[in-house]
Amino acid sequence: MKKTLLCLTVSALALGTAAGAETMTVGLVAPLSGGGAAWGTAMKGALELAVEDINNAGGLKVGDTTYDIRIAAYDSHYNPNDAVTAVNRLVFEDEATFIVGPLGSAPLAALVPTTTENKKITITGGFTPIAMAEEHPYSFRAVLPTQIYANPQISYVVTELGAQKVGSLFPNDETGQTMSNDIASAYQNAGADASAVDYYERGRVDFVPLLTRLLAQGIDTFELDGSPPQTAGLLVRQLRELGFTGNIVRTGGDATDDILAVAGAEASEGLYVHMEYDGSLPSAQAYQTRYIDAYGGTMNAFSPLFYTTINMIFEGMKAAGTIDDTDAIIAEMGKLSDFDGPAGKANWMGQEIWGTMRQQYIPYAIGKVSGGKPEVIATCDLEKCE
Amino acid sequence: MDLLTLLVQSGVNGLVIGTMYALMAIGFTLVFGIMRVVNFAHGEFYMIGSFVAFITYAQWHLPFAMTLLITIAVVGIAGALIEWLLIRPLRADELTGMIATLGISVVLQNSALMYFGASPRPMPDVVSGLVRFGPVVFSWSRIFVIVAAALVIGAFWLFMQKSRTGRAMRAVAQDREAALIQGIDVERIFPFAFGMSVALAAVAGALMAPVFSVSPFVGITPMLKAFIVVILGGLGSIPGAVLGGLLLGMIESFGATLFGALVADMLQLALVIAILLVRPTGLMGRKEA
Repeated sequence: MKKTLLCLTVSALALGTAAGAETMTVGLVAPLSGGGAAWGTAMKGALELAVEDINNAGGLKVGDTTYDIRIAAYDSHYNPNDAVTAVNRLVFEDEATFIVGPLGSAPLAALVPTTTENKKITITGGFTPIAMAEEHPYSFRAVLPTQIYANPQISYVVTELGAQKVGSLFPNDETGQTMSNDIASAYQNAGADASAVDYYERGRVDFVPLLTRLLAQGIDTFELDGSPPQTAGLLVRQLRELGFTGNIVRTGGDATDDILAVAGAEASEGLYVHMEYDGSLPSAQAYQTRYIDAYGGTMNAFSPLFYTTINMIFEGMKAAGTIDDTDAIIAEMGKLSDFDGPAGKANWMGQEIWGTMRQQYIPYAIGKVSGGKPEVIATCDLEKCE
Repeated sequence: MDLLTLLVQSGVNGLVIGTMYALMAIGFTLVFGIMRVVNFAHGEFYMIGSFVAFITYAQWHLPFAMTLLITIAVVGIAGALIEWLLIRPLRADELTGMIATLGISVVLQNSALMYFGASPRPMPDVVSGLVRFGPVVFSWSRIFVIVAAALVIGAFWLFMQKSRTGRAMRAVAQDREAALIQGIDVERIFPFAFGMSVALAAVAGALMAPVFSVSPFVGITPMLKAFIVVILGGLGSIPGAVLGGLLLGMIESFGATLFGALVADMLQLALVIAILLVRPTGLMGRKEA
């Protein structure tokens, strides 16, 4: 009795239209509703702000042609089937030049054969290694996956907290399984036992029975990684409702604002959180102000990361002198280094891990929630946090 | 945590979720019993109840008792009007009526999506803090749900047993034509029953809103569970809905605590199938004449 509707929001940003300018469509497929909406709306905001910059400046000048950019955005509902439907529309009907999304490993695994075959660049947030595989040369990733930051971050956190037995719950899909393996091995490397693991179906809201099961195994630390922001907030709240006074850690995927909103400041006090970048940077704060002015509420930290990668694609198009020759565009993108973005300088990485260089890397940080706000307690690189 | 502690903790967890399922299922089975309509929009009235509670309690800061009364009034009247305007003209054909409720469901959910947005909204607790009995810990907010839901179910039972309208509703459920002969105004009973049914779902939504937060999609899972519960308890049977709701809540809680979420999901449906194999009409259902 599924009643979901594919939500098409086509926004034609016709600002600064110049006579004779052509129109280029860029696509977005991301969860704009449901559990992953905080991330999906952040991706959509990043695309809209990047396009606004281009159109306000008179359009994207590629060779002798100036393009006005329009956006075709689809809600994936964090669901592989809906993501594939959306990508088929973007590729064959909207003829999008590149696609922002999808989010999540399962949607990415389902649609990447289509985007590879049709030579469409995607900027994913999916943590599966498929995203960086050599056979999918047009798949880029804006967000660091658990695999990269799990070891340095968890090593730091385990030392700080003296964690010995760690419990965790993951969604029962490709995304959850991938993260579960990365997290468990990182805790094991740091000397903690992370064997108290269970899986749940997305959409679940009552975790008390599952948490009771984990608490019965004597855990002293709970790991929130892998759960969407709102779900992570419910987990923190329900853990505290069960009288859990141990440590709670969020190793990846920015969710701090949502956790605080759902669980409250008191329940979230002392929470260790992954910060996608150093939020104290003036450029990061300026972007956040702009985002909140435009959309209200709070901003998920994925937004400036996607904004940076989107601008790297536009730079690649300008340098290649084409919007159609995807191979030439990705070749030019590969030459970009220390690319200035709101979250800091961005570079490509991944050669040693996946044999490809399509993972965006921006230094990240660890925060600790104090008085309802995360404060940076350590900054990290690929090797360590300190 | 020893086994006894685990069992007590699971029992209370099961009661919380079970009373919510029972509240949902009572309304669902009430409409089926009286009108022979499967209301596919039942979950959406749960969702509307949670949003009414969110607005009146979290935004207007009204007392929660007042919030519940407003929820019952708003959703009950809306439900009666929907029955009068949209379901009554299609009453002659049960299948058409069901499809109409499916359409109502889509309209209500997407209207909420357009107006409130997709992101879940947290709602403050009605009562906060923890209560401890040795190693067993419960939150007052969950105990509040159990007590409030039990009171609502009790009030509903009294209404159905003792009031003139309640008896009339039961008479219509048993035999519509005989009820007509006895002078019961069936045309008045139908919108009243529908309004009362969806008001019960809305109360469940309002009670659970502080526990699970509020979004346009919160009604989907309770609706699916209500389906299972009414089939388990017996279509049209109100005591069956209460028993089925509590039983499903307990199976879910004990199953997930003892065996994990995935096994619990399989166990739930396996047990429901096993019960239906032994009692095809459900635990308290009766064969149609």
